[in-house]
Amino acid sequence: MSTHPDSYIKPELMACCGAREIRDRDIVIVGTGFPTMSANIARHTHAPGARMMQESGVFDAQPARPALSVGDPCLNPGAAMIGGLIEVMGMFLQGGWVDVGFLAGSQVDKYGNINTTVIGDYANPKSRLPGSGGANPIGALAKRVLIIALHNARTLAERVDFITTPGYLDGPGARERWGLRENTGPQVIITNKAIMRFDRESKEAYLESYHPGSSVEEVTRLTPWKLMVSKEVRETEPPRAEELRVLREVLDPLGMIKIYEKRGYV
Amino acid sequence: MDKVMSTADAVGKFIGDGDFVFMGGYICRPPFAAIHEIIRQKKRDLTITRSNAADDFDMLIGAGCVKRFISTFISLGLYGLARCYRRSIEKGIPHKIEIEEYTNLSLPLMLMAGALGMPFVPVKDMAGTDLMNVSSFMGDGKYKMIESPFDRSPVMLAPALRPDVAIIHVQQADGEGNAQMWGIGGDCKWGANAAHRVIVSCERIVSRETIGKDPSRTIVPAFKVVAVTEEPFGAHPGYTPGFYDVDMSFGYLYQQASGTVEGFQAFLDEWVYGIKDRAGYTQHYIQKFGYAQFRKLQAKFDYGYPVSYAY
Repeated sequence: MSTHPDSYIKPELMACCGAREIRDRDIVIVGTGFPTMSANIARHTHAPGARMMQESGVFDAQPARPALSVGDPCLNPGAAMIGGLIEVMGMFLQGGWVDVGFLAGSQVDKYGNINTTVIGDYANPKSRLPGSGGANPIGALAKRVLIIALHNARTLAERVDFITTPGYLDGPGARERWGLRENTGPQVIITNKAIMRFDRESKEAYLESYHPGSSVEEVTRLTPWKLMVSKEVRETEPPRAEELRVLREVLDPLGMIKIYEKRGYV
Repeated sequence: MDKVMSTADAVGKFIGDGDFVFMGGYICRPPFAAIHEIIRQKKRDLTITRSNAADDFDMLIGAGCVKRFISTFISLGLYGLARCYRRSIEKGIPHKIEIEEYTNLSLPLMLMAGALGMPFVPVKDMAGTDLMNVSSFMGDGKYKMIESPFDRSPVMLAPALRPDVAIIHVQQADGEGNAQMWGIGGDCKWGANAAHRVIVSCERIVSRETIGKDPSRTIVPAFKVVAVTEEPFGAHPGYTPGFYDVDMSFGYLYQQASGTVEGFQAFLDEWVYGIKDRAGYTQHYIQKFGYAQFRKLQAKFDYGYPVSYAY
């Protein structure tokens, strides 16, 4: 097998991109889907000391199959600790112990703010979405936040309709003004087309790399704000053989990750 | 004092129109037996709360039982947006409920504050976001921003919540109400302890002696409990660790049914109004889907070392 096999699907690439953001011994708060897979790929490759928790109250679960929700029955047997929201969201997250949070958004803007509350006007919404759940506190209190999003003009926005979860709010210094810890906030937006990071000064997302098959031109065209492009822009490294082996053989032998293709991650 | 009664009696006696009700659960242990009974008894104008609401809250909203919802999140999980909830907010069907929105950190802390008898609690989330810019029935009592009297940093305070009544579903309880739970907790323990009175629904009633073999698992003590109801399979289509799995195909059935007003009404007719109690529900489930399907949901056993508290 070559070091970078040719055949993979976009959600696999995105899961691997997420995995590369995880450092050894990180404490990671995860939801379902990509985040769980990313964190697990990392744990089976370069970050054996990383440990995961779910907001519902679980630390270091040993699920026999990919969890379908943060309350999934498979998270119970084998976990190292089970409490509830006060333990995970309170003692661990608000207590300052969580290194990485993974979030997805119906709408994500250039400052990494996320909307999962409402599309359109709050009082008379075009579409009413689920709400914050754990997203707002994860965005506020995890040291590093990784965002997963679809790359289109519906999901990405210059300014979200409603800030459910704080990214850099309205720019430099805003998080600190609201009492959030310094040097925290979103690190990266991983889309089905590209990887965007945040400029140190302006706090705006810029293009770091476009995925194989895409291009700077396509990514800037699909981004509804004037996207800055890194001087060192390059193609995203495709999934490594070892990452794919872990994903397909250990974590997701039934190929459940394929459902994300149906959700537009192509 | 023995508090064992039917769910119909417990709901009839201890939940009134207009009450503020906490309902525990987090995909695990939603108190569905009691929720169906609330719908059957046509309770009205309830204020409901818990972190991460799901199909059970959606059903209460669609059935017209709810006036107000202190919310953090509501969805049908894998099956997407909550249909009755959306119809209520977007189209006013059956009526538009009022929502007050918090998060999965602040709401559990507000319940904890209620349980601990504290008037309010500092929370380190929500600040700077649009969650600060929207409020409904709590008005400017939704939160207060203050300067910390200790270090002058900005601090958000959120009010304590004291529900009139909490309904929780747990694995086991004794007849007096000592309630034992294991597995994913959500905000169940704090929501129950914040309430003025607690209805405990359980998979099995056990003796006081059995409770005493593992007292660290008790999350609510008997003196807070007003009713104990034994409802095996009482959290279906949610799950109860050690008893039965989540029923994904039933979740899909509910999503499909609740997609339209007519479909939702037919669902209620079949699974709630047309049924007397949880035993009848389980019987109907087995008749409709077969015993093999019911059996498939039942948990396997996987015991560890029994614990000992002896000295």
